[in-house]
Amino acid sequence: MTINRRLLLATMASTALLAGNRASLAQGSGIFRIGAPNCITGAGAAYGTGMQKMLRAGVEAVNAAGGAAGLKFEVSTEDTQTQPQAAVLAVKKLIEVNKVQALLGIWSSGESLATLPLANDADLLFMNTSGAPALSVPPANAKGLSFRFQATNDRFGRAFAEIAEKEGFKRPATMAFNNASGIGNTEGFRKAWEKKGGKVVEAVVYEPNQSSYRSELQKVLAAKPDVIVTGSYIADTTIILREWYQTGDTQKWIIPGWAANSDLIKAIGPQVAEGIISVESVSNEGSNAFKAYDAAYQKAMNAPGLGNAYAAMAWDMVIVLALAIEAAGKADTAAINAKIREIANPPGTAVATFAAGKAALKAGKINYEGASSALDFDQYGDVTPDFSMSAVEKGQIVRKYIVKI
Amino acid sequence: MTGFLELLVAGLNTGLVVGLAALAVTLVFGVARFANATTGDAMSLGAYAAFAGANVTGSLIVGSAIGVAAGALVGAASYLLVFRKLVERSAVTALLASIGIGLFIRAAIGLAFGHQQKTFQLPLVRPWRIFDIRIHPNDLNLALVAALALAVTFFVLHGTPIGRRMRAVADDLSLARVSGIAPARVMIALWLLAGAVTSVAGIMLGIKAVITPEMGWEMLLPAFAAAILGGIGHPVGAVVAGILLGTVQEMSTPFVGFTYKIAISFLVLLLALLLRPQGLFGRVAGAR
Amino acid sequence: MEAYIIAIAIITAIYVLLALGLNLQYGLTGLINFGHVGFFCVGAYTAALLSKHQISPLVTFPVAALLAALAAWPLGVVSLRLREDYFAIVSLGFSEVVRLVATSERWLTNGVQGISGIPKLMDGLVPRAAEPVAVLALLVAVNLGAILMMRRIASSPFGRVIEAIRDNEEAVKSLGKDPAGFKMKVLMLGAALAGVAGAFYAHYISFISPEQFVPLVTFQIWMAIIMGGVGRVSGALVGTLILMLFLEGSRFLRDIIPFIPDVEMASIRLGVVGVAIVLFTLYRPQGLMGDFTRR
Repeated sequence: MTINRRLLLATMASTALLAGNRASLAQGSGIFRIGAPNCITGAGAAYGTGMQKMLRAGVEAVNAAGGAAGLKFEVSTEDTQTQPQAAVLAVKKLIEVNKVQALLGIWSSGESLATLPLANDADLLFMNTSGAPALSVPPANAKGLSFRFQATNDRFGRAFAEIAEKEGFKRPATMAFNNASGIGNTEGFRKAWEKKGGKVVEAVVYEPNQSSYRSELQKVLAAKPDVIVTGSYIADTTIILREWYQTGDTQKWIIPGWAANSDLIKAIGPQVAEGIISVESVSNEGSNAFKAYDAAYQKAMNAPGLGNAYAAMAWDMVIVLALAIEAAGKADTAAINAKIREIANPPGTAVATFAAGKAALKAGKINYEGASSALDFDQYGDVTPDFSMSAVEKGQIVRKYIVKI
Repeated sequence: MTGFLELLVAGLNTGLVVGLAALAVTLVFGVARFANATTGDAMSLGAYAAFAGANVTGSLIVGSAIGVAAGALVGAASYLLVFRKLVERSAVTALLASIGIGLFIRAAIGLAFGHQQKTFQLPLVRPWRIFDIRIHPNDLNLALVAALALAVTFFVLHGTPIGRRMRAVADDLSLARVSGIAPARVMIALWLLAGAVTSVAGIMLGIKAVITPEMGWEMLLPAFAAAILGGIGHPVGAVVAGILLGTVQEMSTPFVGFTYKIAISFLVLLLALLLRPQGLFGRVAGAR
Repeated sequence: MEAYIIAIAIITAIYVLLALGLNLQYGLTGLINFGHVGFFCVGAYTAALLSKHQISPLVTFPVAALLAALAAWPLGVVSLRLREDYFAIVSLGFSEVVRLVATSERWLTNGVQGISGIPKLMDGLVPRAAEPVAVLALLVAVNLGAILMMRRIASSPFGRVIEAIRDNEEAVKSLGKDPAGFKMKVLMLGAALAGVAGAFYAHYISFISPEQFVPLVTFQIWMAIIMGGVGRVSGALVGTLILMLFLEGSRFLRDIIPFIPDVEMASIRLGVVGVAIVLFTLYRPQGLMGDFTRR
């Protein structure tokens, strides 16, 4: 027993020592330290690693161009496990031990809602990809430090409504996964649809992790909708679509892109998937910034940059931050914050990389057109990306058109 | 009315999978006398093994056989490595240990297969319509498999010498020992059987839904509830109770909504324990 | 640096409070409570909702404790007479029902969107910079208070009856005492401690949602008290420390052992929890500090 206790104390001491060493390494001028609390494990694991790698790649690109305002960038990363509690501890460590000067790449709404207060306390910029509406306004965003690089759930819902209208549907029903994102999407759809004078014939919210959704589906189908709009994820979408197909009913589906992707088609087969409409907030794929991002993504992840929209957002976060620091001339949060909209929003010379932007800043105002979207931040720090409407045809996802909201 | 009948069919469907899982639970509960919380994750394991087997051999049947074999082996291994050593201790200790084993299995599955969902590739068919109710051929397959599993279990328990010994051990362990029954062999046979049934439940669940590392754990509470409701140690009781729970759950949705329907099995279990603690088929024994 | 250590210390102290409550229930009366996170949830939501209406913590904390204890009452009424593993299963179902209620009753709990912007505990009472230390000090004080209370109970007549129930329930019954009543009081007391822990948690994390109150939390606390040793207060302390070391330490592990891919960390953590539970159950059931209960 004594040995155990000694071992315990020794382990704790060495952990503290290690942490202490990291802290001393973090000292030093001429450096701007970025904190990256990413969801490497947990529900967001599919995106977290890509995001982290792109944060690092963006930092490399910035440093290669000589840094911003004479400061070189450094990144400290932590895993948040896509859990609010673990995210708080991760961010605390980044702030206190690594002494970071900005937080980039927080993914889920739960994590953002829990850690934005910490950023507010420490007066740090907070760039995230979460959807919850609460992040735009006080009390969460009381200091205006939060910048959201992903469309809010509301905007997604609006895009769904635009598409539903364009496709000529009249009787939509909704099915929502019972979490903030799923409900956010379908609520956004309902609001937008009712604004157009329409009515949602049935709205069902279903619990996660069930083996069957027959009764939920039954309720929706009883209202005889001509299209079903979902806020769902791939596992439940698989089960629902399979069970739907076996009812013999024939309506159409509008499903978010993270659920209606090639994995879904693989799971349910091309016959069932035929005609499904997949909606995604589209990365700014035509842009030069996207090309730069895509090159970096392919190098780091050996996969096309299109596959991880959040990674494109992470890349943009670094570039935007760097350009703002360059424009502000110093590493002060308030000064940087004041410049973000200046360098990202029109008017200005359009630029697509940090190097180009740094050079163009000498001549006048710039407008960074990002890889994830045009990145025009509104007064809440939110962006309005474009959305793509794709349909599944013979087992392939085919892009049909872009929707601007 | 059609609505209710359709809910009934949906409930029967869910209930059959719960019933199969409950069958595995009740076998162990009856003979080894503790609630085996590994059952959930063992179900996931069976599904993954079958999936891997089907991928390698290209046949779902062969893959399932591999899955069932894997489940049986894991069951026997958990007995030999852990549960055998806990025989003298309280039922809760074994329950706790089984939770630990379950977590370990889940972790191993996550490491080996990743967390992306997997699916069995089965042809989808349009349903038959009988009296305006939709019946899917897959449902009937499920019912057949459940009936088969039950039949095999019954046969083993009542028609083989080892099964007789299992029932003797379940009835009265000390008396069985005194009568010369060597517990080790009986227990290994029991765990092989329970493990196999668990795998079957997991594979059927995987066919119905999707295969993820957490799939079996979600089934655990309903399976426990059904096993207790049906009477500990009663295979038929477990399956019947499973069907009952599934049906009640689905048919309650118009009244309680889709979120609370999950609480229904808990509620039914509670009522059962208060009103008839020995379960539907059990004899009066120690629930209190 | 210190602020990070304080942050870990606060979370640890909250978990110690949870472990003390569970230890009270299991160590003293042998109750196998697999639904402890349910009381944690009740306490957290109570404190969160009340404080958003500007009600002082002096009121919200006792109310959180009270409501958590009251939540234990129906659980106790129906299941205290059940044998122990049935109680375990029922209590697990109970905590899941609590979570479902938190998910469903949007008008009360804001459902899955959760409650954000919960004010800091000491806001206005102490300067901003000193707030975490003040919270930690308060937590330590509450823990010490709980420990003192438990020692008092253990040596009181009430405590002696409790221990007698654990050791031989039939004998106690034959003496004319009703074990169920005593067990109920202990269950409610342990639940109250969990409720207070929940209140601290809500104020500290400042954002709560139903998905934070899942059975895994209960099992982590179980792992803590099994490893530390049940029935002894020092067991709850040591066990929780080991648990926190493991949960936070795995963060630093990646620096020491870089070849573990990040994505696998969660699975590895889960696997280690499982193996730890099994190994301790098999080889050291009395935990590191020794078992008080002779089971």
